[in-house]
Amino acid sequence: MPANRAVSEEPRLAVTRPERSRLRRTLALTLPVPVIGLVLLLTSGHLLMPFDRVVTIEAKMASKRDFFEDPEVRRLLLKHGYRVHITRMGSREIANQDVEGYDVVFPSGQPAADLITRNRAAAGHPALTYRPFVSPIVLGTYRAYAETLDDADIATPQQSQGVGGAPLYYTLDMGAFLNLTSSGKRWNDEDIGIENHGVQNGNKILAQTSNICESNSGGTYLGLVAFVRKGNDAPDTEKEAEKLAAEIKPLLVEQGLPASEMAETYLSPNGKGIAPIAVFYEHQYLAHQIRYEAAKGRPDTDRVLLYPDTRFVTEPQLVALTKDGERLGELVSSDPELQARAVDLGFRPRDATADSMSDQLAKYLNDRHIQAPVTSADDTKAVLPSLPLLERMIKIVGDCPELPGASK
Amino acid sequence: MRCSLRILTLCLTLALTVPACSGSDDDKTTLRVLAGPDLAVLEPLLGELRDETGVQLDMDYKADADTGDALVSGQGGGGHDAAWLSSDRYFRLRHKDSARRPLRTPTMLSPVVVGLRPAVARELRATSPGGRLSWADLADAAATGTVRFGMADPRQTGSGLAALVGVATAAAGTGGALREDDVSCDRLRGFRSGQQLTADSTRDLLDDFVDHPGTANALITYESDLLALNSGGRLKEKLEIVRPEDGMVLADFPLLLLDPDRRTAYDKVVEWLQRDSVQEKIMRTTQRRPVSPSVTRDGQLRAPVGNALYFPDRLAVVERLLDDYGDPRRRVPDQVIFLLDFSGSMRGERMADLREAFADLSGADSSATGKFARFYQGERLTVVRFGGRVLEERTITVQGQKDLDTLAGVVARGGYGDSTAVWTALDHGYRTATTVVAEDPERAVSIVLMTDGENNAGIAYEEFVRRYEARPAQTRTAVHTYPVHFGEADAGALRRAAAKTGGRMVDAQGSSLSEAFKEIRGCR
Repeated sequence: MPANRAVSEEPRLAVTRPERSRLRRTLALTLPVPVIGLVLLLTSGHLLMPFDRVVTIEAKMASKRDFFEDPEVRRLLLKHGYRVHITRMGSREIANQDVEGYDVVFPSGQPAADLITRNRAAAGHPALTYRPFVSPIVLGTYRAYAETLDDADIATPQQSQGVGGAPLYYTLDMGAFLNLTSSGKRWNDEDIGIENHGVQNGNKILAQTSNICESNSGGTYLGLVAFVRKGNDAPDTEKEAEKLAAEIKPLLVEQGLPASEMAETYLSPNGKGIAPIAVFYEHQYLAHQIRYEAAKGRPDTDRVLLYPDTRFVTEPQLVALTKDGERLGELVSSDPELQARAVDLGFRPRDATADSMSDQLAKYLNDRHIQAPVTSADDTKAVLPSLPLLERMIKIVGDCPELPGASK
Repeated sequence: MRCSLRILTLCLTLALTVPACSGSDDDKTTLRVLAGPDLAVLEPLLGELRDETGVQLDMDYKADADTGDALVSGQGGGGHDAAWLSSDRYFRLRHKDSARRPLRTPTMLSPVVVGLRPAVARELRATSPGGRLSWADLADAAATGTVRFGMADPRQTGSGLAALVGVATAAAGTGGALREDDVSCDRLRGFRSGQQLTADSTRDLLDDFVDHPGTANALITYESDLLALNSGGRLKEKLEIVRPEDGMVLADFPLLLLDPDRRTAYDKVVEWLQRDSVQEKIMRTTQRRPVSPSVTRDGQLRAPVGNALYFPDRLAVVERLLDDYGDPRRRVPDQVIFLLDFSGSMRGERMADLREAFADLSGADSSATGKFARFYQGERLTVVRFGGRVLEERTITVQGQKDLDTLAGVVARGGYGDSTAVWTALDHGYRTATTVVAEDPERAVSIVLMTDGENNAGIAYEEFVRRYEARPAQTRTAVHTYPVHFGEADAGALRRAAAKTGGRMVDAQGSSLSEAFKEIRGCR
């Protein structure tokens, strides 16, 4: 159990919430002054129910901390008696490290969650999982880059519905894009001509990912690339997977040492120079647009998204390791306020399928004059290889260290 | 009764929660931090950090914190709870195989850029289209002695390492991250011939630059250092900041948690550092760019940061670069011995091709790779013309255009032989090399053997080998031969000679002598 946990694991005390005025009076009579000050702060401030226990949940998560770190989500959770203390690391790192002392782990996708549940089950501790929302994997870029790809017939702007303005979303011909990467083309090359869009860049054309060994987005992108390069098919045997991994490795390692957090890098003021095409999740981009619109009254039209024509929707899974963890999982997947807040943060509700964005999210965006992405039913849905094969491929492409616990 | 139960519960709750959730006095704690010297500029803020979080940072500055072993042993045994570096890239490469990476939080950003004294900036811009400058332009100007720069030692400092990787990436010119192949030959000799100042820390470098104004006219270091220098009133003329258009390497000054048990204190420090108000103070104090997107950047920090070059993800690549870089204080320029076939078959177009190759290496090649590969200040060049025997040997040390003209004159001379004594020529090359190595063991010597025909005069290959093996071990281990295959030359024989001497053959068939020479420049 973590040392800084706020409350010991005793049974819930059957204490009903006292009337405030009476509480204050009682305290004034019996407690020394500094404590009164603190209690008044606790009762009147953000700690709503000092008499119910506030449970601190120890959690490990990657990009989905965006949800748990949101002040409104924190407020709602506190209302239900939970505070979540987050240790941040990549999804695959979460899966490959000790989970002792944690109540929940929340990897950003299914493969890492499967690794964890499999290891837990093997150790005799089956774990419950919760899927509060989903989000597709996307490539974030900048207008000049998207238009350059459009010139090359590799990206096509989406027809926006309802909200006008320059397109924020493009459909990316993944096959053609990967061909561009494997041919070693650079943005400055004359036949690519990013200079026509006012940008100079001598770097190779590729999508940058977070560390493939550590992150779900990196591993998922690897799976997507493998699927496209195999002619829209996932490998079935270890031999196939190994061959394919060796084949796609050059496409994925050209970026060198990966930046630590792709969305953060991309969304930073210097993102255009550091990560002009970056792989991350749709919700991270939409959350940025929602924030941007709220602050400036209009969306950020320089940052745009490329949707691979071979789609993959990631399903983050909250894995509960303790009873408290289970209660938290249950809460975030069923509480209407928390579910609504997830939409405000750009997540697709659980019921949205890969083909359709939920009306709820589209409406939320349109209400704020932000275009909503549309997904064509023509798009292929990518299938990831089975967990052991994906793991094998990740290790080959990323030269990942053999980790204790990884092969349990 | 119910009431007192409530109060009891309350007291218990408070007793348990208070120490965990506030930075009150009974919660003072100290983190021992292994720190790079580039972090010292933050000292004035550390008191405030202590007052507001209750965490005292005990900064242990080590000159080589970014690249040294202190950090490696520090994880677990060196007594440091955390590390605060300008960059943890080298650390990450060294720990690629370890299972657990420390938590890291970037705290501020600064790219490695170039500061030029106004006169040299004007001179460089005048010769570049659009006035835009690249690393290749700087390498070219360094090779001619126009740019004399200062740069901290990359074996010691984050700024030096970032600069070295940036220049090497530009020199490889692939647009991707450096791979082993790209660094198998050292393309930075010309660039480095322009290095006149070095230091074990960025701060020492800046001091030297200011104290000895005549020594160098350029500085390669963090943008923040140049801005600080410009605003510090120590320079007569402000440096012009140039962001090479082929890209830069960015430092993000991460705070790493080495001891996971100190997580609570680390979290407090990180939370404080990420506050917008603090980020703004950091920006003002350090002239580095805030990591927080919501902080408005001051004047010069609004300039686009430029494109980040991809950083290699292989330790071997970086180690090779550092090895080749060597000790900047003890730099002895190379000597290349060119053995050039002047048999009759070289007449006409082939000879024109050879002269063009020398002209290109003398500065006529305006491509990025050409600018890195060119002959440079101090380099010693020996040209041996041979036909059926050695016709002429001439050595020059490059000091200026005059010497390059002399070299061109030697190559332009006619006087062809009527046969081809390849192995006699190579044996002659090794005799010359043996003398050089004996006189000056620190000088790197390599042999380039260019021929367009089969050996039909002089000694046989076997005899060459016999003599080669009789030469001092020092020569044999240090001097490799790079044959250039051209015309009707015997590729098999040349490849054998390359393998025997530890070199590599390049083919000029299908490209040009110029390209072939460029490919083996810096191979030793």
